[in-house]
Amino acid sequence: MPKVTINGRTVEVEAGTNLVDAAIKVGVQIPHYCYHPRLSVVGQCRMCLVKIDGMPKLQAGCSTQVMKDGMVVHTDVPEVEEAQRGMMEFFLINHPLDCPICDQAGECGLQDYSFKHGVAYSRFQYEDKRTYPGRERIPLGANVLLNMNRCIQCTRCVRFTEEVAGTGELGFFNRGARAEIGTFPGKELNNPLATCVVDVCPVGALTSTRFRFAERVWYLDKKPSICTGCEVGCNITMEHRRGDIKRYKPRFNVEVNDYWMCDYGRSTFERYKLTPRLTAPRLRAAGSNGNGHGYTFTSWQTALDTVHRRIQEAEGQGEIAILGSGFLTCEEAYLFAKLAEGAGTAQRPVPVDLGPEWKIPRHQRPPIKGREQAPNRRGAELAGLGGSAEDLLLGDAASRCAVLIVADSDFGQAAYSAEAVAKLRQAKFLVVFGWADSPLAQAADVALPVAHHGEKDGTFVNVEYRVQRFERAFPPPGQTRPAVEALGDLLSRFEEGWSNLTPGKVFDRLAGEIPAFAGLHWHDLPATGAALNVSGAAHNLSDQAAEAASEASS
Amino acid sequence: MAFERVLTRNVGKPEALTYKGYRQLGGYEGLAKALKMEPDAIIDEVKKSGLRGRGGAGFSAGLKWSFIPKGKDKPKYLVCNADESEPGTFKDRLLMEFDPHQLIEGCAICCWAVQANTTYIYIRGEYTKAAAILEQAIKEAYDAGVLGDSVMGSGFKLNMYVHRGAGAYICGEETGMLESLEGKRGQPRVKPPFPAVVGAFGAPTVINNVETLCNVPHIIERGADWFKAIGTDEKNTGPKLYAISGHVERPGTYEYPIGITFREMLEGCGGMLKGRPLKAFIPGGASAPILKADQIDIKMDFDTVAKAGSMLGSAAVIVMDDTTCMVRSVARLAKFFNHESCGQCTPCREGTNWMELMLKRIEHGEGTERDGQVLLSICGHIGGNSLCALGDAAIGPVQSLVKGFQDEIDRHIREKACPFPHRRYFEN
Ligand SMILES: Cc1cc2nc3c(=O)[nH]c(=O)nc-3n(C[C@H](O)[C@H](O)[C@H](O)COP(=O)(O)O)c2cc1C
Ligand code: SF4
Ligand code: SF4
Ligand code: FES
Repeated sequence: MPKVTINGRTVEVEAGTNLVDAAIKVGVQIPHYCYHPRLSVVGQCRMCLVKIDGMPKLQAGCSTQVMKDGMVVHTDVPEVEEAQRGMMEFFLINHPLDCPICDQAGECGLQDYSFKHGVAYSRFQYEDKRTYPGRERIPLGANVLLNMNRCIQCTRCVRFTEEVAGTGELGFFNRGARAEIGTFPGKELNNPLATCVVDVCPVGALTSTRFRFAERVWYLDKKPSICTGCEVGCNITMEHRRGDIKRYKPRFNVEVNDYWMCDYGRSTFERYKLTPRLTAPRLRAAGSNGNGHGYTFTSWQTALDTVHRRIQEAEGQGEIAILGSGFLTCEEAYLFAKLAEGAGTAQRPVPVDLGPEWKIPRHQRPPIKGREQAPNRRGAELAGLGGSAEDLLLGDAASRCAVLIVADSDFGQAAYSAEAVAKLRQAKFLVVFGWADSPLAQAADVALPVAHHGEKDGTFVNVEYRVQRFERAFPPPGQTRPAVEALGDLLSRFEEGWSNLTPGKVFDRLAGEIPAFAGLHWHDLPATGAALNVSGAAHNLSDQAAEAASEASS
Repeated sequence: MAFERVLTRNVGKPEALTYKGYRQLGGYEGLAKALKMEPDAIIDEVKKSGLRGRGGAGFSAGLKWSFIPKGKDKPKYLVCNADESEPGTFKDRLLMEFDPHQLIEGCAICCWAVQANTTYIYIRGEYTKAAAILEQAIKEAYDAGVLGDSVMGSGFKLNMYVHRGAGAYICGEETGMLESLEGKRGQPRVKPPFPAVVGAFGAPTVINNVETLCNVPHIIERGADWFKAIGTDEKNTGPKLYAISGHVERPGTYEYPIGITFREMLEGCGGMLKGRPLKAFIPGGASAPILKADQIDIKMDFDTVAKAGSMLGSAAVIVMDDTTCMVRSVARLAKFFNHESCGQCTPCREGTNWMELMLKRIEHGEGTERDGQVLLSICGHIGGNSLCALGDAAIGPVQSLVKGFQDEIDRHIREKACPFPHRRYFEN
């Protein structure tokens, strides 16, 4: 591999690596706007100019590749710094400088590079700024808004729609100082990945309708998380202010979602705001019709005692069943599976809804696709749940149950359907865990408020059997507890050894027990997740995806 | 000055427009001879002749052809640059309108030399007449067997198409032209890769100017030594067309041996308009820095003009007398470059716009002391930093204005108006 020297530091890189990427390897940042690792190199913004020994002119770092040994590059010499100042001046002379009302402020490429490479005064004092009257807030599609005055004509957005989304709604029109981007006549930017153009836009020209004016970004707390929209499991950053989620942004994971995520996924947190929450354990008074009257709130202690007692008393009264959920973390599913084992029941299915096909493009490999509208059906089944939910949701299996435990009040659309709720309600005693106060939760004899995925740590296993960890972004409200804790307390009522559980402890226990997870530890799970060893493991999976995954890994 | 006209020898002979007439005038002899030569021998001959590109950059034509990879794994193309859009330039038009077969012959020889089977002549959109004449000539050439499946019976296949541009100067830049030819927005590509490797439709491509190609049949027919004998020295050879405009008695396209002095050229077109004194001249099109009257004896070849701090470029000579306001002239040029910038790269898009606004302001008498320095600084930020050469082109006139005519800028500032007697030029 050829060696290149950048600012005096030499590094070996793969032949064909461009200088922007090579510089990162030696800890040097070459400022760039138009370059994006997944988009074609166009060398347009000229922000990445560097000096190369033996070349008379400065060269664009993004379009210069290291092909053979001996290239000596400088980014900290006066010529380069002067050029950077020059480019920054050019970018700003016609920029509105409306940071105070711009969503991008705080994470803006213009602000950052001005600070680092620009000058603090303007020589553009007598001329009028170029503006694009009438193009200050143009909806390009349902989720993306364009303010042409802020655009720096880097064409990242155009190239994204052409090269990644493959939909090509955007074009670069006009020329010279009037050059602008926009949609082609009759087209709208409504492809499933549309909002990614907001992410690739280095400035505030493209903003997300969903996030617009929702929060100043410096007030946002950010945690690495996983999208729960579908089984693909796009890596995201969950961004919230004091527990109020403001947006999901894709988090780079070359194995899963690369730099992207779909617009549907970005909208899924709104569910947490639109659906009423369970915030305290709740008992349903005998004879209540379950329409919101006849409840008493209670303590976790009492609630869990009640559940414990009913399970113990169930013997001879009927069956016990657990209705799992594709939204459970692996750790929660594992604990529910232990509960099922203890109760001696095989009825523990994990129903999931099917959506349209979600498809996220990836680099140099086929896109990752998903249809299941939940992030972790596979993990839940590997952890010990599984089976057909048909009898419970469509048949009369619940009527034979002395105790039916629903693991997630929001497990799917059925939790909101009157017929399905009625079917489940046939159980003599209905226990519902969950964050959502869904109709199903309202029908429960005991409703137990547990954290949603922003409020807990855990792991999900995605469509390709990759286990990925996500972090708690903020604490659960009221008396809500992470389900792992609550389940630990419940299990402790039956036997020793389940107290003071944390997701980490549960994961390590599960990994010691379940072959697919063998060798994994909570604390050193790679940031990109770990591919599970599903081909060798005995598991109860029947779907094609499992076959595909084992084919792929063999 | 006595010399033999080469490129324009058929101008004024309407029969040259037809295939038959062109043959009778001795045409297609060069092609006939070339087809009997090895392709590499042609490249060597053209290299030896010292023929340099007439489109602006003055790059050795033979050398450029030699960059085309050998072998048949990909098709190869010749794209003839007939976009001719630089202000002051109107020489290719003459060649196409009066002697279309000469161009076809030159293209055919080039194609044989690099083994390309397709030529596109990318012609400026406004050149409707030239395009029609070329189309007609190409049709006749097909009928006569000069183009088509077997060029003059040699078995070499060659197709030729006229592709009309849609009105953008930037489509004269070679990679902008390729984009436009491929049906995309005409904007330059990053280089490398160069067109010789990845050109039209991803295949190796030669791009040459009309005049460059028109020289080729004569080189083949009469030999590199004959060609080299014309001109200043080894590196500046052959006949050259100069498009002379401005304050002269008889503006027009003139053919001279390359390296004729500006003074002789001026005499050849009847001298200064109404005998007024020469103030300045642009030796090579809108992008060439302006030369002052004291350079009147300069030899008009590539290297001498470059040494004087300007460039021969497309050899569009614009002559200005003492009534010319340099600020206004340069402001007009700046307006052109701002209008024609493709807008993809930052220094050119923003810089040309800023320069135009600033020069207009100075012309309107609203300049400040500092403007000259700021202009130079903008030029410094554009120069060498833009993606294509349009950015570099745009700064030539501006730099020469500030460096050579600072006194005129100062008068505009001091008098708070243009000191020259004319209407305010820019109303917008
Ligand atoms: C902005 C710009 C405009 C150009 N316009 C023309 C043109 O109209 N005609 C032309 O022959 N060359 C033009 N050129 C030069 C071409 O890029 C290229 O160098 C030339 O066609 C090569 O042919 P030659 O080697 O025969 O000169 C232009 C270059 C630039 C940068
Ligand atoms: S809108 Fe944003 S991404 Fe698109 S060209 Fe403008 S600055 Fe670049
Ligand atoms: S220098 Fe001007 S014309 Fe050339 S690529 Fe840049 S913006 Fe376009
Ligand atoms: S990042 Fe290199 S030119 Fe834009």
